[in-house]
Amino acid sequence: MATTTYPRPATTYVSRRSKVLEWLTTTDHKKIGVMYIITSFGFFLFGGVLALGIRTELAVPGLQFVDQATYNQLFGMHAIMMIFLFVMPMTVGLANYVVPLQLGAADMAFPRINALSFWMLIAGALLIVSAFLFGGAPTGWTLYVPLSVQVAATGVDLLLLGLVVLGFSSILGAINFIVTIFKMRAPGMSLMRMPMFSWTTLVTAVLLMFSIPVIAAGLIMIFIDRNYGGGFFDPAQGGSPILWQHIFWFFGHPEVYILILPAFGIISEIVPVFSRKPLFGYKAFVIATASIGALGFTVWAHHMFTTGAVFLPFFAFFTFLIAVPTGVKFFNWLATMWGGQLRFDTPMLFAVGFIALFLIGGLDGAFLAVVPFDFMVQDTYWVVSHIHYVLVAGAVFGIFAALFYWFPKMTGRKLNERLGKVQFWILFIGTNVAFWPQHMLGLDGMIRRIPDYSGNAGWTELNFISTVGAFMIAFSVLPFLWNVFVTLRKPADAGDDPWDAYSLEWATTSPPPTWNFDSLPDVRSERPFFDAKHPELAPPAPETQPEASA
Amino acid sequence: MLVLAVKPSGGVFLRIPGTDRRLGRLATLALLPAALFLLAACGAQPNENPTGDDAAPSLFTGEVVTTQGIESASLYLPIFIIAVIIFILVEGLLIFMTLRFRRRKGDDDTLPAQTHGNNTLEIIWTAVPALVVTVMFLASMAVLNNVQATSDEPDLTIDVKAFQWQWTFEYPEEGLSFTGVGKTGPEMVMPVDEVVRIRLEAVDVIHSFYVPAFFYKLDAVPGVVNEFEVTVEQPGTYGGQCAEFCGLAHGDMFFTVRAVERTEYDAWVDAETEAANATPAPTATPQPGETEPPVGTVLDISTTGDDPLAFSSTTLTAMPGETVTVEYLNDSVLPHNIAFYEGEDSSAPLIAQTELMTGPGALGTVTFDAPTTPGTYFFMCVVHPVQMTGTFAVAA
Amino acid sequence: MTAETPAMDPAAQEHLEESGHDTQRGGMDTALLGMMLFIASEVMFFAALFAAYFNARATLPVFPPEGTEFIDPIGLPLFVTILLITSSFTMQWATGRIRAGDRTGLNRGIAITLIIGIVFLFLQLYDYSVLILEDDFGIDSGVYGTLFYTLTGFHGAHVLGGVIGLSVILARGLQGQFSRKHHVAVEAVHYYWHFVDVVWVLLFLVIYVIK
Repeated sequence: MATTTYPRPATTYVSRRSKVLEWLTTTDHKKIGVMYIITSFGFFLFGGVLALGIRTELAVPGLQFVDQATYNQLFGMHAIMMIFLFVMPMTVGLANYVVPLQLGAADMAFPRINALSFWMLIAGALLIVSAFLFGGAPTGWTLYVPLSVQVAATGVDLLLLGLVVLGFSSILGAINFIVTIFKMRAPGMSLMRMPMFSWTTLVTAVLLMFSIPVIAAGLIMIFIDRNYGGGFFDPAQGGSPILWQHIFWFFGHPEVYILILPAFGIISEIVPVFSRKPLFGYKAFVIATASIGALGFTVWAHHMFTTGAVFLPFFAFFTFLIAVPTGVKFFNWLATMWGGQLRFDTPMLFAVGFIALFLIGGLDGAFLAVVPFDFMVQDTYWVVSHIHYVLVAGAVFGIFAALFYWFPKMTGRKLNERLGKVQFWILFIGTNVAFWPQHMLGLDGMIRRIPDYSGNAGWTELNFISTVGAFMIAFSVLPFLWNVFVTLRKPADAGDDPWDAYSLEWATTSPPPTWNFDSLPDVRSERPFFDAKHPELAPPAPETQPEASA
Repeated sequence: MLVLAVKPSGGVFLRIPGTDRRLGRLATLALLPAALFLLAACGAQPNENPTGDDAAPSLFTGEVVTTQGIESASLYLPIFIIAVIIFILVEGLLIFMTLRFRRRKGDDDTLPAQTHGNNTLEIIWTAVPALVVTVMFLASMAVLNNVQATSDEPDLTIDVKAFQWQWTFEYPEEGLSFTGVGKTGPEMVMPVDEVVRIRLEAVDVIHSFYVPAFFYKLDAVPGVVNEFEVTVEQPGTYGGQCAEFCGLAHGDMFFTVRAVERTEYDAWVDAETEAANATPAPTATPQPGETEPPVGTVLDISTTGDDPLAFSSTTLTAMPGETVTVEYLNDSVLPHNIAFYEGEDSSAPLIAQTELMTGPGALGTVTFDAPTTPGTYFFMCVVHPVQMTGTFAVAA
Repeated sequence: MTAETPAMDPAAQEHLEESGHDTQRGGMDTALLGMMLFIASEVMFFAALFAAYFNARATLPVFPPEGTEFIDPIGLPLFVTILLITSSFTMQWATGRIRAGDRTGLNRGIAITLIIGIVFLFLQLYDYSVLILEDDFGIDSGVYGTLFYTLTGFHGAHVLGGVIGLSVILARGLQGQFSRKHHVAVEAVHYYWHFVDVVWVLLFLVIYVIK
């Protein structure tokens, strides 16, 4: 059955005269989503420039470009920007745009709080960036005490305040998503018929809700110790430096799942569509996602194995255990592709690239679960390699896959395929060139957070190669920017359903009208739009429309 | 190799010597930044690493010299093999599927079989990984027990005090203490084949005692004493570094461990003890109540507890040839001294320096004659040569 | 195609009117669910602070550290505890009144709760002034002082938030905006107020009584 086309409404948010004020005061989840996406992409570039600063300095021995004080600000800010000002807001932006559409809803549960969350992001971002003007935050993004209490720079205080503001923005957003998902699904869409991206958004939101308040408390504790003579972390006053690490990582570990679960959801949307098959093992996938979320709260001290203050067997065991549901997801994706009819449009390229490379980051993590091995490579470039395989090959690939996939829905135009492929291959190769050598450097004992290393350590060649890779990654952004520029000037002719996809966001116009849907198809499985297009394959209509329960 | 050549028109291009082949414009443009970069890099100052081994890093563990470390490192290969198997499996599947199930031109619109799942398969690929990780966990715990085991009576105990940005190694039984200076840091000598207990304390912020050749690190946390034991099996000199970000000069916080036969160790202890006793302190720390008047002009300088990494002033002045007595009060908990050089930096000859002392309330004095030639000279703390420096201005 | 919302299924329409809020699913009201989740996140915030307290309690050889002492629960702390617990009862009563459609009872109940809340805040500030000025016990008096002021201080901040919420629903209540069927804001604030009270009781027990 051919795709149903809906008559194009007289007004969409794109065709109306978009005044600046309209965007500034909007509570429409689609506009807010777009603002999140654009803002976070800007910080991707900013954080990327900082990364280039780091890698340029490390390319060869000797301090050529920056001094120690400046370098020590670079790596902390790079991490803060990439984590809090890029990946998190980007995934929130994508979820903001897509989740209500996938659920068949007209908007989020609390549209004004949705807008508030976005503007709090801007406020927090301004505070964090202003830290640069006040001595920066030369503490690393982990803000370990007593160093972060003792560092004089006021930039640290601005960073603390900015993060608290961002945290509050995230908590409000998380509550919004949870309520929306529980209360605003289309009739017939039980939780076990919800698209996977909405599922991962739900679990991510739960993780946010329980972890961010803890870090907020901790950040305030550092602020009190810094400014009011507090003794939370000062041994001389009865405080404990290790307490901060527990608080930080109790948030910090769920945080890494917050960063990657949305990407898991995105891959789970794209791989089935571009394999022309349903997601293999949907139920197992849901259970695996929920397990990763729950287990994520039990492993935090594996970041603290070398402190001498941790009950090692407990945390090692759960760290190993969390590999199992992650593995299940991998097998589900592979089984989805098996026997399918694979189309390698750019979203699928990024999705397969994700599977191929996130594997390496995951295996790195399995090594780190081995406590005696962790004693050797903790705080070395092995960890840096692990982090960047899971975040660049993981989150960043997932984000680009999502951008290519949903760009036509948001703008009515498909991004150019040729430019997409060029970008993908440069990024794919660059990621490996940048981060593969770091395994070897870490294993050889090169520690992190140093601006320089000795010429006779044997590390020069691999560092230089890693820097080349970093520049390749940076370079790959150019075809993407060009792609967006030229695509937006094309006519909006992508249609409602350019990919022949499964979920409800494709059952309306591209872009959707302000109210999202004029009508909804029946929801009888996790692929309601697929069922509408292939009624012969769809589950039969029930006798009475089931009142979908929460 | 490329050669820069000049066109008759005056333009410049890169040519492969011995041929007529030129580098295209785009390639030349790309090479230019790389060339500039290398040029800048070559001008950089040389580095010292006390034990740089120049060995190219690999995907396998390097030299490990302790009993505990060797056992830890033995876990690597089995896990590496498992990882490689998984890697080949998954990547192989991906490549195979990409080729085999790719949509080709001429394929009609029929959907492939819409398989939703397979319970047996899903159970297998949940149970097998669970089994594998359980085995890995148990194996790692067995090794961990041995690595963390401590004896009732170690053969030697060494106390390590970590501070920004140096180390102090103390041998309580032998009565020796070494504080590192410069980029090489202090040297920890220990006998091979004996149980050495190392106790870690941190004075200011969290540091970490990391020796790659031990396959081990342990954090030094303020307010806590962490300890571990090692038995070095192979004599040699092994490099170490602070592995927990601790501020400005974190990357310069090196040290070395030198493991020697017991007889050589005993000889070293004797020599060091003798040296410590024989060398008179360059300046005697005045005893309380001592009223000997200082010689010449007195210059006061100090370091406070609130700002433990700075001198109270960065300029001291004297007249040419004047006899001065510098009284340095170290009121911080870090080891400091003050050293004067007859030039612009520490590469110039040393004029005089106080003893290395740890506060609070540590007073050191040194008396010397200022250089006769007027000019700007240099002073610094030898333990913190980057953070604590100043100008010694000699003018009429 | 006009820009008006499509006609609604009659059963859904009735449900909408019944629940008094724009939700198409049964169960808890949307705004109320939001408040419950918010309270859950706030519980995590206090959990972190309590964890810091328990950590210090368990690991320090001498607790409280030299120079500080436990604070006697008898006296002002006990009095404010009784006050706050009373205010939970008055708030519950007020909510019960509006569930029965009694607007006057609602307003009275909120007003009493609000007054107690404000008195609580003033008494806490007074207690702080005594501790700081007379006993020289401040946020910089070792980890015990830091913990005490951070825990009670943030609790007080949450009471202030509750006081603001109570003021808003009092103002709305006095304007007659609430009815038997439409009073979600009252339900939400009353849950929040109970949360604030429960946190105080825990604080009182942990810091003052059990020590």
